[in-house]
Formats: sequence, C-alpha cells, structure tokens
Amino acid sequence: MTTAEFGTHNWGMVVDIDKCIGCNACVIACQAENNIPINTQDRVERARSISWIRVERYWEGDFPDAKARFIPIMCQHCENAPCEPVCPVYATYHNSEGMNIQVYNRCVGTRYCANGCPYIVRFFNYWEPVWPESLRNHLNPDVTVRSRGIMEKCSFCVHRIRHESRKARSEGHEILDGAVQTACSSACPTSALNFGNFNDPNSKVSKMRGDKRHYTLLDQFGTDPNVIYLAKIDADKKVGAGEAATHG
Amino acid sequence: MLVPVLAIGGLGVVAVIGVVAAFVITGWIGQPVPVLGFEQTFDQPINFPHTVHASLKQLDRIAADGQTMEGLGLDCTFCHRTVTTQANAGVPPVGFCVACHQVIGAEDNVELAILRDAADIVGDDGPSPVNWKRVHRLPDHVRFVHEPHIRYLTANPSVVTNSTDGVTEGPSGVCSTCHGNVAAMQQVEQVESLKMGQCVDCHRDNGAPTDCAACHY
Repeated sequence: MTTAEFGTHNWGMVVDIDKCIGCNACVIACQAENNIPINTQDRVERARSISWIRVERYWEGDFPDAKARFIPIMCQHCENAPCEPVCPVYATYHNSEGMNIQVYNRCVGTRYCANGCPYIVRFFNYWEPVWPESLRNHLNPDVTVRSRGIMEKCSFCVHRIRHESRKARSEGHEILDGAVQTACSSACPTSALNFGNFNDPNSKVSKMRGDKRHYTLLDQFGTDPNVIYLAKIDADKKVGAGEAATHG
Repeated sequence: MLVPVLAIGGLGVVAVIGVVAAFVITGWIGQPVPVLGFEQTFDQPINFPHTVHASLKQLDRIAADGQTMEGLGLDCTFCHRTVTTQANAGVPPVGFCVACHQVIGAEDNVELAILRDAADIVGDDGPSPVNWKRVHRLPDHVRFVHEPHIRYLTANPSVVTNSTDGVTEGPSGVCSTCHGNVAAMQQVEQVESLKMGQCVDCHRDNGAPTDCAACHY
C-alpha cells in the first residue's frame, strides 16, 4: 500500500456557473445513484423532499431584460463546517480527505446539523423510504439505504472514491486525475461540475480554482467550503465576478 | 396476605432481569446466546460438505465403492471465483456444480438429486437456483470488500490467523483469518464475531484506515 494511500487527497468540486444550463441532469443522476427516496408531490408540498443536489433558479434584471440564472447547490464539505460541532454523537465529522462525512449508523436524528447548515443541504428522513415494486432492483448496492429518523446529505459519492482508490491500489498506481467522477459531474452535459483532488496542483480542479472568477458560497460565514464556484460571465456587464455571490 | 404475592412477583422480576442481563452481557462480549435460533449456522437446502471439496485430509466418510474418502483439496477460489477481484466472494451457479456432478456422485444420493433437479438434469420442472442461506452476514450499513483484504493478507502472511487445513499458499491460505477452517466444516458456521470491534482492531494493527467512511457510506 504505497500508492493511493488513504488521506493523501483533498477531494473537492469546482462548479462553473457560466456553463450551467439548469438542465437538472445532476439532480436526476444523484437521485438514482444514491438511493434517494422519490419526492412525491405530497412530500414536496410539506417541504420534506430530499435532494442532495438542487439547481436553484433566480432572475436578474426586470422583465424585458430579465435573465435566468442557475446555480447547483450541494453539500459544500466545509473545512469549518457549522454542522459538525453541534452533533452530540459525532455522526458527522471532517475526515482527512477533505470530506464532511455523515455516519448513518451513528446518527440519532437530533437534526441540530440541519439547523446549523446555512446552505440547507442536509435532509432528515421523516419516513421509512419506499420505492415502487418496479424499482426494487434499481437500488445502488454500494450505497446504504437510509432508514427513518436519520440525517443524510451529499457524500461526494464516497463509494465511487473508494472504488477507484481500491482499483488504483490493486493496479499499483496513484488515482489518476479525472478517474473519480461523482454521479452529478459525470452526468453534467456541459462540464459545469468538476470533481477532483485539490492536493494535486496539476489536477483539473486545482487549475480551475486559480481562475479569477472563483468564489465560495456565503463566504462571510468563514466555512471554507471545498466546493468552489466560478462566477457567471455576463457580456453586458463585462465581468460577473462576485455578482452571484450575493445570492445563496 | 400480601407477602407471598410480593415474593412471587419479586422472583418473577428477578428472573426477567436475569434473562435480559444474560442477553445483554453475551451480546456485549461477542455473539448472542446460541439458543432460540441465534445459532451462527443454518441447515442449507443442500447439505453441502465443505470437507469433501476443500479438505486435504482423510475423511471419516465412506465412498460409494466402499473406499475411505480423502478431501478433494479444491482452492476456495475454485468455486468462490470473484473473491480476489470483487466485493463479494460469490456463490457458484448451479450449472457450475453440475459440470462435475453430472457424472460424479452416486445416482441415489439424496442431496445430489436436489442439485440435479435444480439443474434440470432430472425432473421436468425446469432449472431453478438453489436458495442457499447466507451464514456470514454483515449489517446493511457496512461495505465490506473482499478484494483488498485478500490482497493484503496474501502479501502479509504473518497476519493470517487460524488455518485452512495447513494450506499456506494462495488465496485459500488467508480466508481462515475471518472464516475459520471451513475445509473442516461439515456445515459452515461463523467462528469469528465479525463485529466492528474486530474489524477496527485488525485495521489498527495493520495500518489500514480507521476512518468511519472507510466502511460506512
């Protein structure tokens, strides 16, 4: 075990807002990949829907010149996560790979973490998840089905990271840049979502992070997220850096 | 008047507390009490003898021709083919069994009759899978992958505990660490607790990650 050692990576994501077309493919991919229960109309109306990644839409400008803007929001995997210190049972913590981990079997369902999270990306299972009989064999066997009474959130597709690191170790090399793709980033048709290792200065995400358009969501809270956004380029305004940052 | 009633009630309470405490304590130490269906072994649909297939020793079993039988000494990976490459060890399909058992084994063997019926060699109700019962079952929130464990133990034989009938080479030599000497089991049973404490102890001793998300995700 000299290569692809655990803890030598800092996984993160760079979201290029300029490329996002708001197609919601990431949402569907995530839903299918991570065994997320179906958000029925009833659940959505009661604000109980679960969606590890969502595409928020907002409008810029007034009617004749209104422009639709999209921003995909998932767990930001903060280095200073507000959700972590409030958990009484250490069910959520920051691991050495730069990820905010949710341990389902430790969670006792206090929901403090969801109240602490400013990004609203943590979801509580108010019911036992059910799927129609026709979808019984469609569940992903690599992802735990979360039962009633526990919290869940974006895991950065940790099962895919584990799979790729095992593969790299058995083949005796480092995890190649781009080998690990989350469900959302592999589904994104415009490559707006990019996943990779920030510890590697030559990785795609590290280079993208150097872009002058970069910002993080709700920067004023000092959460230091591992998800970096690249601002929308607006031809009318010449440059849009910082514009989208005021929306959350 | 009340004294005898209270005494009997008190005895009942003590008895109930005793039974509950016994279960809690045994559960804490390792495995539940092997009564009331908590045994770590099951009657399988076919009484498959691992001894005949995997053992390297003389068996106390008489073959159809009156000779004493010797174990076949098959490697674990002969049947559990995906254990070195994938998460699951894999149970072979019926067709794999009858590749040998179409001709090997007496025609009047009751257990083999079930297998041959499942493979549609005898009977006329078509092929059907054998509903093997799982002996080593981990909770749903644990992701155990065989491949890296086999790889590590093969590279570090000093860590291997137990023994598979004296086999030290190849994948068969390492399975015994968690599964015990299956080659000597007429009916497979779980010999190690396979609880999280055991996993973490071994991971700690061997420098494997003890991060929660190494197994729980």
